[in-house]
Amino acid sequence: MVFSSLTFLFFYLPITLLVYFLAPLRWRNLVLLLVSLFFYGWGEPVYIFIMFLSILIDYTHGLLVEKYRSDDKKARWFVGQSVVFNLLLLGFFKYWDFFAVNLSLIPGVRIPTLGLPLPIGISFFTFQTMSYTIDVYRRDAPVQRNIVNFGAFVTMFPQLIAGPIVKYKTVAEALDHRMNTTEDFALGARRFCVGLAKKVLLANAIGALWDAQLASQGAGTLTVLGGWLGLAAYSFQIYFDFSGYSDMAIGMGRMLGFRFDENFNYPYLASSVTEFWRRWHISLTSWFREYLYIPLGGNRHGTAQTLRNILIVWLCTGFWHGASWNFILWGLYFAGWLLLEKYALRGVLPKLPGWLRHGYTLIVAAVGWGIFAIEDLSRCGAYLRTCFGGGVLWSAADGYALRSYALTLIVLVIASTTLGRDLWHRLPERVSRVLAPVLMLGSLVLCTAYLVDGSYNPFLYFRF
Amino acid sequence: MTKAYSRFLSALFCLFLGGILVWSLILPDRERSEVENRTLAQWPEFSWTALKDGSYTDAVEEYLADQFPLRDQWTGLKARAEQAIGKTEFNGVYLCEDPLFDDGTLISKVETPDTELVEKNLSYIQRLTEKTDIPVYLGLIPSAAEVWRDKLPAGAESWDQTALLEVSDIDFRAALSAHADEYIFYRTDHHWTSRGAYYGYTAVMEALGRGDETLSITHFAPETVSGKFNGTLYSQSGVHWLEPDYMQFWVREDGLNVTSWRMGQPEAATLYDRSYLEQKDKYSAFLGGNQPLCVIRNPAVADGGKLLLVRDSYSDSLAPFLSQSFSEVHLLDLRYYRASAAQYAEENSIDAIVVLYSVPNFITDKNLVFLTQ
Repeated sequence: MVFSSLTFLFFYLPITLLVYFLAPLRWRNLVLLLVSLFFYGWGEPVYIFIMFLSILIDYTHGLLVEKYRSDDKKARWFVGQSVVFNLLLLGFFKYWDFFAVNLSLIPGVRIPTLGLPLPIGISFFTFQTMSYTIDVYRRDAPVQRNIVNFGAFVTMFPQLIAGPIVKYKTVAEALDHRMNTTEDFALGARRFCVGLAKKVLLANAIGALWDAQLASQGAGTLTVLGGWLGLAAYSFQIYFDFSGYSDMAIGMGRMLGFRFDENFNYPYLASSVTEFWRRWHISLTSWFREYLYIPLGGNRHGTAQTLRNILIVWLCTGFWHGASWNFILWGLYFAGWLLLEKYALRGVLPKLPGWLRHGYTLIVAAVGWGIFAIEDLSRCGAYLRTCFGGGVLWSAADGYALRSYALTLIVLVIASTTLGRDLWHRLPERVSRVLAPVLMLGSLVLCTAYLVDGSYNPFLYFRF
Repeated sequence: MTKAYSRFLSALFCLFLGGILVWSLILPDRERSEVENRTLAQWPEFSWTALKDGSYTDAVEEYLADQFPLRDQWTGLKARAEQAIGKTEFNGVYLCEDPLFDDGTLISKVETPDTELVEKNLSYIQRLTEKTDIPVYLGLIPSAAEVWRDKLPAGAESWDQTALLEVSDIDFRAALSAHADEYIFYRTDHHWTSRGAYYGYTAVMEALGRGDETLSITHFAPETVSGKFNGTLYSQSGVHWLEPDYMQFWVREDGLNVTSWRMGQPEAATLYDRSYLEQKDKYSAFLGGNQPLCVIRNPAVADGGKLLLVRDSYSDSLAPFLSQSFSEVHLLDLRYYRASAAQYAEENSIDAIVVLYSVPNFITDKNLVFLTQ
């Protein structure tokens, strides 16, 4: 069940909110656990057992780490166990087939593929539970002795399937002592509407343009202009899709009384690749910095080790996004740019005019999305070759696409900047007080129309 | 944010979601949708196996979506929103400017077909030719996207049907293109109008070498039977703001003898089933819609010869014209008729077989293989 579905919006969410707020405060974590398990089981009934396993093991390991706190060796051993367990879980379900296929290329090696469906959200919740034992060990978070509360943290439906990655320490306080205020609910609801509109009205709309460009690449009619139009479309699609999803998660978290950290900060306003990654999927990059880059030594042990650490972190970041070579390439592609900016371009970049730095960042990001989006590497290469001049410049079909999407693209550009937010803050309060509910309702109504249309499936005796 | 204002925003949000929830719970379930022309999903029966493999929850989602209140209106709202932001394509249908009508016309986009399937379908017709001594004609009807290509929005793509139309023995393209400035396709439906079907009739007569017997257009007295036809493109696109089409019957049914095999048995039928004119699916008024086999006999042209059409629904509105020049017109639908077409033709001493499809149907059809038996 995705947030942007009729089932979620008009059945799961209202019923969940009703039950949650009817329940007395001390039962709310139990309610949250149960509704979240239902949410998880809806898409993957069988995989609920993974959820139980994950809760049980990480809960026990948290307790063990706390118990053997005085004996550092033992405590570290239990932290290690928990990390290995989570990585094995992730590795088995997400990466088995990838390794099986690639290792079987070696003569004499035969590993069968399993073809298991990927448990929803496994990349997110394994990282969250890993952070829990590590935080307990580092005394960054108190141990959780109540398994219901811990279960509610692991399964919490707003962030379960697409993040943001919520570290245990950010919600530890709220899990045990939560305040539910009407203001939080209202702000959360408003945020949810913003996210829903980003996902349904913006991301889905421009996604159709990317699909069309990809199809014309397959048919051999892609042009240079069409290629870039496609990359721009995909750049917008993935940003508004993902950040819209994060907004909905943050909004629902707030409605339930939790504060999640922000996950995006206008990434397309960045003026360098380094800055782009400080603004994009913040919860993931900060997770890798905190639990991988810094433990590896960060940049404190000279150039050679820093280089190694950056490469490891970005290899993992890429691979985390998917079990396929293009994601690894994508991670290394960014590692390359980051290293270039760190060493070679350090003196040059700041001296360039602003528009050039922004343009450079956007192009690097867009080409990166090309690698990210097209799993088949040879096809990806062909697409990018066309973009860089390997084809006719433009065609009538591009004209049609531009005309059809002109207004959408303008809206997307504006929505990628802080303009809307700044204008909103400048509005006199009496105006924004009226405008907020109007926009909220507008977003809900339009999104409903688009979602219903998506389920609309006329049987056209078309075939006859 | 004051408490009262917070309450107001929260209530707004909850009332919208909860309101629709309650509304759809109260609303009685519908069996079928007229606009979508299909049966709607009902509450699924529970079973542990279905739950385990995920098909149960899928079925519930389908049920909730199908029974969602005001489905048609939401779709219309979406189309309006798309129009407002400058879109001209709506779920695979182009809204085109049209000199004939101020508010435009809908034309269905034709996707690039699977070449292998098209070649297979052509080879089945070749096989039919080899199986029987009766002459076989292939008739491919260009869709509106081809005949009215110049009406499509500039740069809008639709698969080029030219090359395929060249293998057609009947030149519908020339017949329709010569009258492209007339009302030959419905604006809200993918079929040809009775006027379009008349030009189709002239092309069939020409190809069968009987061009000099073709009845002239003045021979017919069109009767407008409905001014409220909203067709398949109306449903598919969500564009609900065009004036409805009007529908005409050109041929009088007097003296015709129509037999339908709807249930495997011959039954007396009529050239037009006017009860459909009161429903959404008005095009089915021609011959009463889908059926495996239908025979129209016209004793007035006893020496007109016998024609077998292996056909799609374009022939429903073409058959009335053909009935004026042939003593018998047999219409056979391969989706429901699974016996040998060649044998049927022999047994009924057919003079000519016409395999008659519109291009979009021909390039996607998977039943033509039954011609080879």
